[in-house]
Amino acid sequence: MIQTNKQIANYKNISEDFERMEHVEPERVHIALNPPRCKDCETYVEVGDTVAIGQTLGVSQGPFFKLPVYSTVSGTVEAFTKKVMPGGEEDDVVVIKNDFKDTMHESVGERSDEEINAMSQQEIVDIVGDKALTGLGGAAFPTHIKMGTDKPIDVVIVNGVECEPYLNSDYVLMQERPEDMFKGLRYAMQAVSAPRGVVAVKETKKKLLAMLKEEAAKHSDLDISVVEVEDFYPQGWEIATFKSVTGIDVPVGTLPMEYGILGLNSSTIIGVYDALKYNMPVIDRYVTINGDAIKQPTMFKTRIGASTKHLLDKSGGFKEDAGDVNIVMGGPMMGQSTPYEDITITQTTASLLALRDENPVEEPCVRCGSCVYSCPVDIQPVQIMNAYKKGDKKALEQLEVNKCIECGICSYVCTSKIHLTDYMRKGKNFLR
Amino acid sequence: MNLVQKTAPYLRKPTARVSRFMGDVSVALLPLVVFAIYRHGLSAVWILLAAVLSMVLTEYVYNQIIDMLNGEKFKLKNKSFTISNMSIVTSGLIYGLTLSDVIPLQVVIIGGVVGTFLAKLIFGGLGQNIFNPAAFARVFVALSFGGAIAYEAYVDADAGATVLGVLANDLFDSSVTEYYSYWTMFSGIGMPGSLGETSALLIIVGGLYLFLRKSFDIFVPLTVIGTVALLSGTIALFHEDLGLWFPYTMVFSGGIMYAAVFMATDPITIPITRPGRVYFAFGVGALTLLIRIFGQLPEGVVFAIVFMNMFTPAIDYPKWTTNKFTLRSILIFAAIVIVTAAIATAGVHYAL
Repeated sequence: MIQTNKQIANYKNISEDFERMEHVEPERVHIALNPPRCKDCETYVEVGDTVAIGQTLGVSQGPFFKLPVYSTVSGTVEAFTKKVMPGGEEDDVVVIKNDFKDTMHESVGERSDEEINAMSQQEIVDIVGDKALTGLGGAAFPTHIKMGTDKPIDVVIVNGVECEPYLNSDYVLMQERPEDMFKGLRYAMQAVSAPRGVVAVKETKKKLLAMLKEEAAKHSDLDISVVEVEDFYPQGWEIATFKSVTGIDVPVGTLPMEYGILGLNSSTIIGVYDALKYNMPVIDRYVTINGDAIKQPTMFKTRIGASTKHLLDKSGGFKEDAGDVNIVMGGPMMGQSTPYEDITITQTTASLLALRDENPVEEPCVRCGSCVYSCPVDIQPVQIMNAYKKGDKKALEQLEVNKCIECGICSYVCTSKIHLTDYMRKGKNFLR
Repeated sequence: MNLVQKTAPYLRKPTARVSRFMGDVSVALLPLVVFAIYRHGLSAVWILLAAVLSMVLTEYVYNQIIDMLNGEKFKLKNKSFTISNMSIVTSGLIYGLTLSDVIPLQVVIIGGVVGTFLAKLIFGGLGQNIFNPAAFARVFVALSFGGAIAYEAYVDADAGATVLGVLANDLFDSSVTEYYSYWTMFSGIGMPGSLGETSALLIIVGGLYLFLRKSFDIFVPLTVIGTVALLSGTIALFHEDLGLWFPYTMVFSGGIMYAAVFMATDPITIPITRPGRVYFAFGVGALTLLIRIFGQLPEGVVFAIVFMNMFTPAIDYPKWTTNKFTLRSILIFAAIVIVTAAIATAGVHYAL
């Protein structure tokens, strides 16, 4: 098909509405000591110690910031060991056995609205940084660095667009806590002195939109609105969302803050609320277990540090006739494939998909141009592939392979089933 | 059950298949095939069969020879030969429908073999070819066996010479419209011409099918036909002997509609970006008209396509290729269109 393709068909017939919602309290959690982007970690607890929810277990050192690590359950420290992370690599973890008492640490406690309203940007940023809040949409960029920007911000955009198929953890969270999301948005606007706040949601999510609009009306003292954005892939890519909401085309590779935009994921903004209102780090996570190889697709609410194996068992495991199964952490377009079933759930783990392996047969390229027409950053995947095969560095630069965001649409639309996205990655590596 | 590890993305569009869009072209050609058989009877069947089979067999034999040279055992079912993606069948049909009904079968076969071998296989097969195999085969036949198929020599049993044949002798001979009404030119009933090119109506039906199935880029045929209409319209506007009949005749007679819908849209041999495809299509339309008016031949669309095929790598050159229409590119393109129209108009005025 020769056309601009912006929709991902749900051809695996996977339901995105969940009747099955389960709250799972894990027996033990594995807290990663080296969250993404951090190298070393200093620990404050030893084996045998009793810990409470929200207690600092250690501090990990990033390139230019420090992120404390918090306990997400109350119980006893069992061991320090290694466990597989969503990225597929093994990492240091501390194992805590859950006593199911949910004792809160003394640092957790409610702040009054007056106290929060009187806070300066620096005070808010310090609290958010101290609670180790990172972008929960997937990039895990430290939120306090975004919020600590010294650029003038015109608009804070809450990205509630989950554009990847089969994902809806954010959708469920927004439905569950709309009030807290808007309060979190107020705090974020206060921090960066932004006059305008926007919540962006896909136009197809009618139920959620109605709910959010009702909620937004309660904040009429500020310029807060809910914006319906077109349902296309990759609308959830923040630059696409910013363009849909403000019309500003932020060039790839520059910070949106320079264009007066602060973008935060909807889960992150609720994290901002929890951090400021209750001095609480993020301890819960909605995790979708889905895919056409799963017996009973289920939405779970569980603690960060729980194991995906536990959730997989709860959702009935794999279908008997599934054949080869591809386990994907994240969405089917950009997620990370892993050969493990037992993976630690981190702050950014929104889903585990078990997909039947397709193994498409590649045919010669017929130059139909679908990849060129569909590319959201207007580069030419097929020409990049040919340049890479020839080892033509100059052509790769001229074709701007580094603009690629690896959204996967070129592989998806390819008439000849060529894995173009892989060639984009190879091309980028080749230029490095 | 095994766990496998892949790289993202893990979904592939089910309707994106080579066989689907190549097969769609064959389906879109079916009305024309039926029309050709209805008009010319068995001779159309033999010509189309010869065209398709000569191309398919050439590809098959070529693949067998290559495999033999690579030291593989001979098997009747060749692994490199893929008829299932329909590409070579489609090429054969397109080629067959460009031929006239009185052409000797051996000429059809020689054209099919040479076109497939020289325009497709020698470059590495599907996806690698520079020239449209069907257009190349047609050009080869026209140049090598001119006497066998030339429009002037060809007289339909119940009709006279083709419209373009008449206009090649005298461009301002408006009496062609007395022989052939607008409806005749549009429907193709009673129109002389090659097997598939006469019925604009059925070509439009096929084009609509391809458009609805999203199996071609509608910009290409629209630009080709739009260019012919615009340039011939401008010429008619500035010449007292020409009227509305001139652009109408230019668009609806000869092979321009057929070539615009089925040959200029072959994605393998045209640029990969949408602006590039528009420039390519403009080149095809403009060259066709210039060949028709100033050239020795009454018809030039296959030559225009083969000629423009050569510019595809230049249009796709990494340094300037882009899939975006910018204001600058639109202005330059508009200037080129105006200059072309001016040259054609002045040429008709002073040279003829």
